[in-house]
Amino acid sequence: MRWLVALALLLVLPLVLPSFLVVVMTEIAIVALFATAFNLLMGFGGMVSFGHAAYFALGAYAAALLVKQAAWPMPLALATAPFVAAAGALFFGFFIVRLTQTYFAMLSLAFAQIVFTVLFKWKTLTGGDDGILNVWPPPALKSPLAYCYFTFAVAGLAMLALRAIVDSPFGYALRAIRENPRRARFIGVNVRRHQLFAFVLSGFFSGLAGGLFAFFNGSVFPDFAYLNKSFEPLVVVLLGGIQSFFGPLAGAVGFKILETFIARQWPVYWPLFLGSAVVLVVVALPQGFVGLLQRRSWRIRAAR
Amino acid sequence: MADPSGALVLRTVGLRKHFGGVQAVNGVDLAVPEGDLRAIIGPNGAGKTTLFNLITGDLPHDSGQIFFRGAEVSGLPPQALCRRGLARTFQVTSIFRRLTALENVQTALLTHHRRHLDIFRPARRLYRDEAMILLDRVGLGAQAAKPSGIMSHGDQRRLELALALASEPQLLMLDEPTAGMAPRERHEIMALAAAIAADARLTIVFTEHDMDVVFAVARRISVLHQGGVIAEGTPLEVRGDPEVQRVYLGHRSKTAH
Repeated sequence: MRWLVALALLLVLPLVLPSFLVVVMTEIAIVALFATAFNLLMGFGGMVSFGHAAYFALGAYAAALLVKQAAWPMPLALATAPFVAAAGALFFGFFIVRLTQTYFAMLSLAFAQIVFTVLFKWKTLTGGDDGILNVWPPPALKSPLAYCYFTFAVAGLAMLALRAIVDSPFGYALRAIRENPRRARFIGVNVRRHQLFAFVLSGFFSGLAGGLFAFFNGSVFPDFAYLNKSFEPLVVVLLGGIQSFFGPLAGAVGFKILETFIARQWPVYWPLFLGSAVVLVVVALPQGFVGLLQRRSWRIRAAR
Repeated sequence: MADPSGALVLRTVGLRKHFGGVQAVNGVDLAVPEGDLRAIIGPNGAGKTTLFNLITGDLPHDSGQIFFRGAEVSGLPPQALCRRGLARTFQVTSIFRRLTALENVQTALLTHHRRHLDIFRPARRLYRDEAMILLDRVGLGAQAAKPSGIMSHGDQRRLELALALASEPQLLMLDEPTAGMAPRERHEIMALAAAIAADARLTIVFTEHDMDVVFAVARRISVLHQGGVIAEGTPLEVRGDPEVQRVYLGHRSKTAH
């Protein structure tokens, strides 16, 4: 029932909201997908990546290049983008999962900086600093409303797939590794291989988010692979709640709404505000926004 | 390289490991036949846990060989040994604390049945009944839905036993299974392990500080001292061994009483 209400809201809201909010909603869906893919690693695998923008950018550039250079149709380019990102995640991840904790984070960051540098410097292919412009979806999807629904459908299906992965045997073993890698080994899990598989899946869906964003934005830039973009899912997950599957979704909604209304009014103070918000949530609400809901529903249950 | 003595589940030959200048395990030859309930005892620092870690692939050894069910397994990682039928528990309880007791055992069963890379099916119902049987077997049936991290210490140790049993091992290695437990509980969990071993016809090797427990359940005892085996035999033989009396038992009974 709750699901039907949510679905109905998602279908009706874009029709009644002003068009700039439709654009915001589209972006929320993309950020939510990116953060949920990121949280497969952080929340369920216990691996904190500081360089997930690499896979977002690989997806975005793959989609843009396939449409612009190879003249592929947009759906095919978008469908290929996650595979390019996954290939990148497989290659970088092979080295990254050999490390743990801080070293894991730093190596993931280093690889993302490499991706950024390549995108920035390889002017003949990527256009360097100028990026790739006029990456638009076909006419049928060009209106903000059409692309909003399209994004809801694609990102929604992708998040359902991620949900299924979390609840699958693979997801169980991934959580077991998060809890206790040594014990996981002694029940027969090949820990590194499992972590690499998770890394590739996370890269795959990050790349899909990047592909969606390329056509949403109409252009791609090297910034997509930069630090700021890497920290975005981290902030979103911290805001929304790391322990819950839907934490990143809640975080994306909160993050984008704050950004829309505060960053536009007072752009100079936006980082200060965001920083304070993160500190507040981490200290006062370690379960994130979702924790607020869960604590209330827990109280209701306890009161019965 | 084939091991000549086929009836042995576990055999080590000249196993050595040093940490810096300390020779923690110094040429251990161990032969554990099928169905044995073998205690490895020795004073603190005798090398019991290191020996366990070498045998189970948790630590690389410097030299020597390890045979499991007739095949050499030296250098194999823990997950490969687990698949061949070697399971273990740890001195410090090692479970998946934020998973429920049921999820703990289900994950172990899923992995044992090589289903753990499957991303296309929900896991919730898979091997659920089997997991419940295992939980009942160790006396945790009523706590299946509890996050394992908030269970009592004794129950966590039982859960770890269930995790080890999930892989249907031929050899179960228990590193101080009763550590941190009350005396009555100690006898309970060892009796439980022994009963399970008898049912499933599996071999157990365990270390233990509580001599009452050791002499109550062990079929044979190996005494480790300064990284080497100084005596081996039935509880009666070991108790009467003058060398053991000197380095371990005598010393202990003096401090204990």
